[in-house]
Amino acid sequence: MTLINFIGCHPLNYNLLHVGTVAIGNESKVVRERGTSSLEHFLESISIQLSNPMVKFYNLKSKWEDETAMLSSTTAISMHPAYQQIIGMGPVAIPLILSEMKNNPGHWFWALKSITGEDPVLPEQRGRIKEMTEAWLSWGMEQGYPLYE
Amino acid sequence: MSKQRIENSFPDLSANNYSITSPATTEYNCIAWAAGDTEKWWWPDPLYVDYWPSEAPRTDSLQSFIKAYETLDYAVCDSVVYEDGFEKVAIYVDYAGKPTHAARQLSSGYWTSKLGDWEDIEHNVLNSIIGSQYGSVATILKRPTKKPSSS
Repeated sequence: MTLINFIGCHPLNYNLLHVGTVAIGNESKVVRERGTSSLEHFLESISIQLSNPMVKFYNLKSKWEDETAMLSSTTAISMHPAYQQIIGMGPVAIPLILSEMKNNPGHWFWALKSITGEDPVLPEQRGRIKEMTEAWLSWGMEQGYPLYE
Repeated sequence: MSKQRIENSFPDLSANNYSITSPATTEYNCIAWAAGDTEKWWWPDPLYVDYWPSEAPRTDSLQSFIKAYETLDYAVCDSVVYEDGFEKVAIYVDYAGKPTHAARQLSSGYWTSKLGDWEDIEHNVLNSIIGSQYGSVATILKRPTKKPSSS
């Protein structure tokens, strides 16, 4: 299904679709078809971007980091709306989080515990970011999650 | 870049009242730094992610934070003024009374703070980082300075 079929009409060019029954010249037809095609292409690429988990994840991560990097409260950091939306992405976020952790260890433990219900971190490792990161990366490898570059 | 983002978040900091004293790191936070620990992130989070002294309640209340520092021989006091022979810690809370930050006094009388994932800074006064991020200072604690052991 194309975006136009899904919406029912062209969102930015309603009139273009409703001149079909009116007698028009070939040039107008060509202009209309090319205009429709390019707009559809443009809107589809936005739609694909918004539904791409990796794009969504990195947009949310960027917002979350910008607004919480100066905080110490794990609770405040983890309750940030963008972080909660990452948790809301569910299992699809796990390989993205693990890949991010591998390169930039950070506060992903709350999200991983919430999504997976697992905790590979030993009590004596709590708060030790490097050791906790290694524990989760080992867990991810055992579970067969791919890591992205 | 670092100074710019710090001053954007803490508008009362300016070139003549603070300095950056470490690289940025996620390995420890302000609560740990005030306690003298550079290896762990301290927080009483409900999911048991981070380190918290087992003798202190695992709740983000001021009392819990006081208890955590009491395990390190700190006791509540009523003055921010530097006292020879003592080291002091200040706990900041937000508008709801929930702890947000801790700073430790240096022998110069200045204060040292770790800013979340960012750098450690030295600042002249506690009030230079009050505001929307850390709220205000709620409690001061002190303990006798440990004397170097003689060999």
